[in-house]
Amino acid sequence: MLSKPKKLICLLWLIFVSHLSFAQTFPEKPDHLVTDYTNTLSGQQAALLERKLVAFDDSTSTQIAVVIIKSLDGYDVADYGVRLAQKWGIGGKKNNNGILLLVSLGDHKITIQTGYGVEGALPDAIARRIIENEIKPSFKEGNYYQGLEQGTDALMSYTKGEYKNDQPRKRNAGSNRGLFLIILIIIVIVIISRINKGGGGSQVIGGGGQTSPFWWILLGSMLGGRGSNGGSWGGGSSNDGGDFGGFGGGGFGGGGASGDW
Amino acid sequence: MKKIIYGLVGFVALLSLSSCGYNGIVQLDEQVQSQWAQVQNVYQRRSDLIPNLVNTVKGAANFEKSTLVEVMEARAKATSVTVDPSKLSPESIQKFQSAQGNLSQSLGRLLVAVENYPQLKSNQNFLELQSQLEGTENRITVERQRFNEITQAYNAKIRSFPDNLTASMFGFQKKGYFQAEANAQKAPQVQF
Repeated sequence: MLSKPKKLICLLWLIFVSHLSFAQTFPEKPDHLVTDYTNTLSGQQAALLERKLVAFDDSTSTQIAVVIIKSLDGYDVADYGVRLAQKWGIGGKKNNNGILLLVSLGDHKITIQTGYGVEGALPDAIARRIIENEIKPSFKEGNYYQGLEQGTDALMSYTKGEYKNDQPRKRNAGSNRGLFLIILIIIVIVIISRINKGGGGSQVIGGGGQTSPFWWILLGSMLGGRGSNGGSWGGGSSNDGGDFGGFGGGGFGGGGASGDW
Repeated sequence: MKKIIYGLVGFVALLSLSSCGYNGIVQLDEQVQSQWAQVQNVYQRRSDLIPNLVNTVKGAANFEKSTLVEVMEARAKATSVTVDPSKLSPESIQKFQSAQGNLSQSLGRLLVAVENYPQLKSNQNFLELQSQLEGTENRITVERQRFNEITQAYNAKIRSFPDNLTASMFGFQKKGYFQAEANAQKAPQVQF
């Protein structure tokens, strides 16, 4: 039997060591919502998912982070998930409205961790249902993107009414996007007016009933430009040009569900 | 003249030091207490789930009564042990933990027994209750771990110089930790 001080020293040492391993095992906070450390998703898939989740964050302030890792390093998947989510601070600080969808490819384990503020909108039983019905079937076929796509759609459908983003973030790319929208609207109006005229008249676009390729090229280049300004997909990360404003420091208490496939 | 100035500086330094220490201890004390409330919340959540679980199991299968009775008794015992947040002594936490630990064990036995009833394992209602129970167990782990962390900070503070002087002057006492489950099973006489 250990004496009292020895016990205390052991305990303190354990706590110290657990902090050390904590720091080593868990990746640093990324600056995007979709983080694939395994390069399972193609760059385009990750960008699509990221764009959807960033848009959701912008409108509802609820942050859904999707993380794919190779291995849990011996952790239980729920334990790993809650530590990671807490460390990154997914969701807002005030509402604690973050969700982590964590996939460990090596262990074939998956977990949905809900922040304190999401537990009401997304009870554990629902989280389990989403894993079983939306994610697992696709994962079993090896179609990870589809599983994540359906899973995040389901998460969004349950949580969309819960919070509103009352402080929309100011975007660096705001003017760009505004311009893009205006041009898009003009193009649509022109096209509609041409259709209404039955393909006749207007010389603005080139006449003859067909839209000049010029406009499509312009549209395409603008769309392409948005997609590609993220730059590289290397280093196991994916991003969408830094549109995501960062995690807000939300708290997690272990709610959610886990499963394997 | 110099002596007076030195004395004054010394007095102010002492005052600020001790008041800093006092406020720091009070803050940590409050944090420990509010974290304790979280711990009790999640245990309460578990005990709220149990009647539903027992009813579902009872209704869906011809289940041996003794396991269910045992769970309900352990639940009743566990809910009768509450700890006043202002008296989080090692002994009271020990008691709380062993009562809840007994409940965990009989719940575990129930879930193992369920393995023999395929019709239960395909019962949606049961599966969702089970996932809620799992989530709640995870919550318990998380809140307990946070309680230990903040309590550790508190205990370290009231025992280190010079805060130990303030602590003993105002009667701040060491608080208890949750032990690892393995200890809890052969528990009551184990003390920290």
